[in-house]
Amino acid sequence: MALVDKESPSRAGLAVQTIDVTKVYRVGHIDYPALRGVTLKIAKGELVSIVGPSGSGKSTLLNLIGALDPPTSGRVIIDGIDLRKLNQDKLALLRNLRIGFVYQSFNLIQRLTSIENVEMPLIARGVSEEARKSRSLKMLSAVGLRRQANKRPTELSGGEQQRVAIARALVTQPTIVLGDEPTGNVDSKTTREVLSYIVQVNKTLGTTFVLVTHNPEVSNMTHRVITLKDGLIEKEQYLQRIDSYTGM
Amino acid sequence: MQMRISDIFKLAFKALRDRKLRSVLTIVGIMIGSAVILALVASSSGLSTGIQAQVGKIGANTLTVSSAGQFFAPGGSSGTQSYKLTQQDVNTIKSFQGVSDVIPYYSQRATISYASNSIQGELIGVDTSALFTMYRGLSLYSGSLPDSYDPSAAAVGYSIAFPTGSSDQLSINQMISTTLGGSTSSSLTFLVKGILSEYGRVLFSNIDETIFISLQSAQILLKTQYFSGLYVITDTPADVTTVQQEIESYYGTQVRVMNAGSMVSTVESITSQMTVFLGSIGGVSLFVAAVGITNTMFVSVMERTREIGILKALGYRPKQIMGMFLSEAILSGVIGGVGGTILGYALSFIIGGALPMFGGFGPPGQTRSSTTFTPVFTPELIAFSLLFPIGVAVLAGLYPAWRASRMNAVVALKYE
Repeated sequence: MALVDKESPSRAGLAVQTIDVTKVYRVGHIDYPALRGVTLKIAKGELVSIVGPSGSGKSTLLNLIGALDPPTSGRVIIDGIDLRKLNQDKLALLRNLRIGFVYQSFNLIQRLTSIENVEMPLIARGVSEEARKSRSLKMLSAVGLRRQANKRPTELSGGEQQRVAIARALVTQPTIVLGDEPTGNVDSKTTREVLSYIVQVNKTLGTTFVLVTHNPEVSNMTHRVITLKDGLIEKEQYLQRIDSYTGM
Repeated sequence: MQMRISDIFKLAFKALRDRKLRSVLTIVGIMIGSAVILALVASSSGLSTGIQAQVGKIGANTLTVSSAGQFFAPGGSSGTQSYKLTQQDVNTIKSFQGVSDVIPYYSQRATISYASNSIQGELIGVDTSALFTMYRGLSLYSGSLPDSYDPSAAAVGYSIAFPTGSSDQLSINQMISTTLGGSTSSSLTFLVKGILSEYGRVLFSNIDETIFISLQSAQILLKTQYFSGLYVITDTPADVTTVQQEIESYYGTQVRVMNAGSMVSTVESITSQMTVFLGSIGGVSLFVAAVGITNTMFVSVMERTREIGILKALGYRPKQIMGMFLSEAILSGVIGGVGGTILGYALSFIIGGALPMFGGFGPPGQTRSSTTFTPVFTPELIAFSLLFPIGVAVLAGLYPAWRASRMNAVVALKYE
């Protein structure tokens, strides 16, 4: 749609910007502040991890960045687009065009095959069956699952399911991929495979990754580790320089 | 960037297929509703059309007069106290104002047999020259009408001469044997002088299964002076009511006068009420099906809460999600409507075969054989039975689909 396509946010060089965002969940008459004023900038091509104890607001922040949930106050700017200005339809379009999600529990649709799951975001945009099949198959090949294309999630191992989910997140060539404990449900060998693939995509395509994790093995691979505590950024730690990717 | 309609329906089909039993049960509910409406409405309008066709043959200016006592005693076995119709009654009624002609007749159930054929039919003795006045549009297929003074001469209905499913057929000047039912169980032999054209039913009689002999022959062969009934023909259709009143006031309850036109209009009002009533039964069953769809859809939306969350995360717009769920309902409606229409089509012929028209109800001395009728399918009715279930399904699916589209993505993704 015009709004998302015509603006040229990439000039800003920021994939994600949050300005003093808060999120308060109200249960009954009691307010639970999940985020209490988070301001951060994530550059295009950055590989960022968000760590912190349970209840620190990691997933809440990820949902705000993913345009799944509006902040109570503050602003979220994705790829130069202020989310406050978008209605439900345009938020959906933004998610479809610019954001990919990878979840701990994979979140694949069980009755669909691997390739059908990967096709789902393309179906929403009306890509022809032929075009989306070939793109999806390419994507599955890239994650090493070409031969599993016609299997359903129940016939796949956890690691394979997560790779299908990654293929689904990347098939739209998003600017940002958000991972909520993407390696939380897979063994350490698969974790390393998934991580090396993420690093590879980050380097070659310049895709921005924001990964919420508990796992130091994951956070150690990233450029920057943002630690949240009680809904606030406790510290930010740069581990690597952002270099050697071709994107931007 | 719009989702393709074909993709929406493919996904809907996969979703329905995933829950086979539930989908099938929902669709069966729709099918029954659609089938019942189609079958019942087609049958009752078929019944109504059948009656109209029959009254067209009799003519609106016809009355039948029969002895009141005989109405409940078929086959001419009248009780002693019942009134007997004679030539004197013919003359009396003829003298009434507005009466153009009175045609007396004898009638008795009979089994007509020749070669390997045996047909349950009727013997009617009547002035054969009046035959074509009584039955409009009736004609001779071959031969001639029996001569009044030849007691062995007869004309037979089309089905007697050419029975379905039999290779033996009748030709002119062939002998046939007739065994009378009722009290006089004697066997008579006739020479076929004429074969009548195919005609069909007239209210109580099937002309195609009737053997006609002259009035004089019947009088001699049946050994009776008393007529089974009188056909009264009035000058105009408008005279029917006044003539009926005249006859009734003259004879009181001794005779029974039947006015074909008014009887048909009574039957028609019954059938049209029946159409509404039966149609409503179908409507109610479709309503029940609609509740079923809504229920199924709600369960489906609940179960797939997480899937809805996934769709939202993948960038499906609320309208698209609503469309996806709604198309599942539409698909159920389409399958149910098509299936129901086919089922209803078949069902209406079963009803047509099982429901006798005027079964067990007829004037004296005539057969009470039942008849089948052909259901009437108008394009409007077919369209209705195809499209109405779809409309019902859409309405039933609207609210659950809307609920699905309004779900909060974050909450939906956390749903276990």
